[in-house]
Amino acid sequence: MDVGLNSGQLALRDSVRDVLRAECPPAIARQAMTDPDRWRTVWKTVVDLGWSELAVPTADGDSSFGRMDLTVVLEECGAALAPVPLLSSVGLAAGLLRLAGPAVDDVLAEIGSGVVAALAVHPPGHRLPAVPMTLQEGRVYGRAVAVPGLPRAELVVTLASSADGPVAAVVRVGDGVTVREAECTDPAQPVADVEIDAQAIAIAPVDLESALATPLVAAAADLVGVAGAALDRAIEYAKTRRQFGKPIGAFQGIKHALADNYVALERARGLTYAAAARHDDPATSVAAGWNAAALAKAAAADAAVGCGRTAVQVHGALAQTWEHDMHLYLRHAWQGASTLGDSRALYHAVGRRFAGSRADDDQQGSAIRKGHEEWRQ
Amino acid sequence: MSRMTQAELRTDLVAEYAAWLTGFLPNDYYERYREYRWDIGLRRAHQRAAFEAGWLQPTWSPEHGGRSLGLAEAMEIRLEAAMRSAPKLPNVAGPGVAAPGIRQFGTAAQIDRLLIPLLRGDEWWALGMSEPEAGSDFASLRTRAVRNDPDGRVFRVKGRKIWTTQAHQSRWCTLYARTDPDAPKHRGISCLILDLESPGVTIEPIRMASISDETFCEVILDDVEIPADSLLGPVNGGWQVAMSSLNHERQMIWIMNWVEIQRGLSSVRDSQATHDDYASGEVFAELGSLLADAEALRATGYRALNNELADRPSPEADILKLLGSQTLQRVWELSAAAAGPRSIDDTDLLFERQDALAATIYGGTSEIQRNIIAERLLGLPKG
Repeated sequence: MDVGLNSGQLALRDSVRDVLRAECPPAIARQAMTDPDRWRTVWKTVVDLGWSELAVPTADGDSSFGRMDLTVVLEECGAALAPVPLLSSVGLAAGLLRLAGPAVDDVLAEIGSGVVAALAVHPPGHRLPAVPMTLQEGRVYGRAVAVPGLPRAELVVTLASSADGPVAAVVRVGDGVTVREAECTDPAQPVADVEIDAQAIAIAPVDLESALATPLVAAAADLVGVAGAALDRAIEYAKTRRQFGKPIGAFQGIKHALADNYVALERARGLTYAAAARHDDPATSVAAGWNAAALAKAAAADAAVGCGRTAVQVHGALAQTWEHDMHLYLRHAWQGASTLGDSRALYHAVGRRFAGSRADDDQQGSAIRKGHEEWRQ
Repeated sequence: MSRMTQAELRTDLVAEYAAWLTGFLPNDYYERYREYRWDIGLRRAHQRAAFEAGWLQPTWSPEHGGRSLGLAEAMEIRLEAAMRSAPKLPNVAGPGVAAPGIRQFGTAAQIDRLLIPLLRGDEWWALGMSEPEAGSDFASLRTRAVRNDPDGRVFRVKGRKIWTTQAHQSRWCTLYARTDPDAPKHRGISCLILDLESPGVTIEPIRMASISDETFCEVILDDVEIPADSLLGPVNGGWQVAMSSLNHERQMIWIMNWVEIQRGLSSVRDSQATHDDYASGEVFAELGSLLADAEALRATGYRALNNELADRPSPEADILKLLGSQTLQRVWELSAAAAGPRSIDDTDLLFERQDALAATIYGGTSEIQRNIIAERLLGLPKG
């Protein structure tokens, strides 16, 4: 099981980090909250650097590390709070289409070139992602809520039920696509509801679980980045802020909370890398891939929200102000945590599935072993 | 060697090990695991057979009962053993902690005399670390070892050790004692190999709260003479011997925790058949969260290993103990919740819950683990 980054991925991580440090400090995210066009210059940099091309699976069929590279870049963009639609367009929308076959090649190429897409998979009233649309004679009908990045998107990728089973469908924003934007938790990453009654520009039959696994891992990577960055900020502050004659980080009340955050972060990071590696492994079953992705997303949301909340607590009153960055991390974390399934709903789904699987004892191996093997296939 | 060939090599090895284990175990082992897990005769026989077949310490050389395997292969073997519920070593402190210490720090004569009987399980070992006034603060231990003159041939030892697991069944003890009372507390400790049959040693077993067979003892040392050639490692170098010996245990601890967690998760699943209201949402949600913990433990163990193999730092390894032990406690609590009032007359479950409580204490408490993470990894100042 390969679950770490190799040296090439580590180098990629460092170069992405350097670019973002120079081009995209958290102040940019704050500006993007009030200036709806602020994201465009950063996005141009991202597209010029070729990061959006990670939308397109490698042509030679050997996709090993493809998703791992995307994971690395998304984690760094999350850490930088980069107000760009890389997660929503390349991670989520293109991610859903990744296994949809040649019918969506042109759409993936468009997204790869920097055309922004958004993924609509939340029917009203659902906590977990599902199929919000129906497809009839090539037209897509239906409603979805909280579509990440939709106000910036030219394409909407969605799931639709059809007479032949579920399909991934793509429509172009325009006539028949009504975008309802409202205020949201993280205006640097705006979301909107959508109502669609429009002709699809691409349709491909999909297996729901394998289609959703890649977006889940992408969302996890972004949240792992947010968690790590929020924790770093809290650590720096705990080292320098002094009370009662010593740095507050010397008190176990602070120290242990941050150590627990670190555990939550590495738990999430381990699950996210393992889930990404698993998706690149053809031996992985669909169910195991979805389980791994769902647990990674849930763990990453827990880590991001947990690290963000502790970081606010460590900073005290300072973190209650607009000028301090900490609300930016938490806004991003809270919003991401509710996208594609909150962690309780995801844990519940995976737990119920595990409980429903049976392990029969036999002489070849213990129940544990059998359960484990079914689980990891 | 390409990745694929390495993977195949590993699969072959694991298959070989699995076949060996299946051949060793009684035919009804899995049906009667509840009884066999306490069968000390079977557990002793298993250790001896594993040693002879080279599976006990697979990374060690053949003359020390190993197969000279790499770390990655050895981890696969350990995981396989764990997944197949291989019989637990009857005296974990011996092969898990004392043996690596002897191998790393011992003289040729010490290795020659001690290692093989230890690995075969013929001689058990106790770890003489904790004292009444030195628990988490191990370096403040007070047991004194004095040589009459710098070249004296014996140390005279006076002091008390406590929570010394299985001392009453052990032949040897790695005894940590203060040899330089003037040095800073970490630098005045030496490790001595104590023959527990020596005059002046009194061992009192302490009744355990659970049915655990890993019994604590109090060990009273009243002017015990230990030959100077029983020193393990350098004089006043005991701190390094202790840290290094415990470090070998690190990988074993997370794998042990991981397999116990798997067992707990299976028991939660099995409750479903017998309880109508099992299907409450909170059980499923907690179950999912625990599945994430278990998988994170394994993924982190592999990440740490890959970093070690690539000669990179592996800071994530430090979370394994903390995460594994906490998860273990939560999983048995969930098992009790899922079983409802049936948990009350389930004495196996009682033992699991009691045994899990030890996991956040031995090998460095969770509080110490958090301090280590905060100070060494996150760089926060000492309190």
